[in-house]
Amino acid sequence: MAFFHSLQNSAFTDWFLGSDSIWTYPTVLTLHTVGMAILVGASLVINLRILQVAGAIPLQRLQPLYRFVWIGFAVNLSSGLVLFVTEAADRVVDPVFYVKICSIVAALSFGMVVKRNAIDRSDRQPAASARSRFLAAASLALWAVAIVSGRLMAYLKN
Amino acid sequence: MAEFAAWVESTAISKALFGMSWLWPLCESLHFIGLCMLIGGAGLLDLRLMGMFRGLPIRHVKALMPWGIAGFIINAITGALFLTMQPHLYLTSGVWWSKVAFIVIAGANALFFETRLALPALAMDPNADTSSGMKLVGALSLFSWFAVLYCGRMLPYLGTGN
Repeated sequence: MAFFHSLQNSAFTDWFLGSDSIWTYPTVLTLHTVGMAILVGASLVINLRILQVAGAIPLQRLQPLYRFVWIGFAVNLSSGLVLFVTEAADRVVDPVFYVKICSIVAALSFGMVVKRNAIDRSDRQPAASARSRFLAAASLALWAVAIVSGRLMAYLKN
Repeated sequence: MAEFAAWVESTAISKALFGMSWLWPLCESLHFIGLCMLIGGAGLLDLRLMGMFRGLPIRHVKALMPWGIAGFIINAITGALFLTMQPHLYLTSGVWWSKVAFIVIAGANALFFETRLALPALAMDPNADTSSGMKLVGALSLFSWFAVLYCGRMLPYLGTGN
C-alpha cells in the first residue's frame, strides 16, 4: 500500500497532473480513448462476423484485423499504466477498477479462443461453432462492461 | 451564442435532465460505446477503400455499415443530451465547433462516396487495387472520425471552453 501511495504522491504525478501543458494528462487520456476505439472497434468487427453479421466475409480475411487489436491494446496498456501510476493508491482499493481490469482480461482471452478456434481454422471449417459464437457474444458484452466501468471510475474518485 | 446557451440552460427540460445525476455518466458510457461501433463499423470499409484487406469484396464489408450508423445515432442522441444539459460548455467552445466541422466533413465525404463512388466500388474486382479517389475518401473518413474523437476528448483541456 505504501508503494502505491508513493507512486500517487511522486514528483512524476505532481508534474503530470499539475502541468498546464496539454501534452501530459490530456494527451495520455486522449490516447487511451484512441486506443479504445481501435481495440474495441476491431474486436467488434471480428465478433460480429462470428455472430453472422456481414456473414459473406470469409473469416480468414479478418486475420489482418488482429494487428489493430494488438496496436490498440498496446496503446491502452501503456497509457493506462501511466494513468494508473498517478492514481495508484485510489485505484488499488477501487472495486470498479478491478471490474474493468477483469473484464478486459476476460474479453481478450475469449477473443483469443475465438481466434484460435474459428479464425485460424477457417480454411478447414468455414463456419464458427456454437461455442465460438457464445464466446464472441460474451466478449462483446465484456468490452461494454470495460467501457462503462472505465467511465464510472471518473465519478467514483475519492 | 452565449445568449442562446443561457436560454437553453434556463429551460425546464435542461434543468430537469441535468438534475438527474445518473444521466450524464450514462450518456458518457453510451457515447464511448457508440464511438467504438462507429469506428469499427465504418473503419473496416475505410481501410478497404484505402487498399488494405485486398480480396475482400466491398459489398461484403458494407454489410457492417448499419452498426457504424447505429453508433453515430447513439452518439448524436447522447451528444444532444450533453448539449441540452450544459449548453455553455459546447456552444461557446471553438474546440466543440471544430468537432462539429469534422462531423460535417465526414458526413459530406460519406455522401460523396454513396452518390459517386459506391456503384463502381461495389462492381470492382475484389482483387483489383482501389482507385486513388477511393483511397482518398477512405483516408479522409478515418482522419475526420479520429479528429472528431480528438476534439471531443480534448474539449475540456483545449482553449477555455466556458
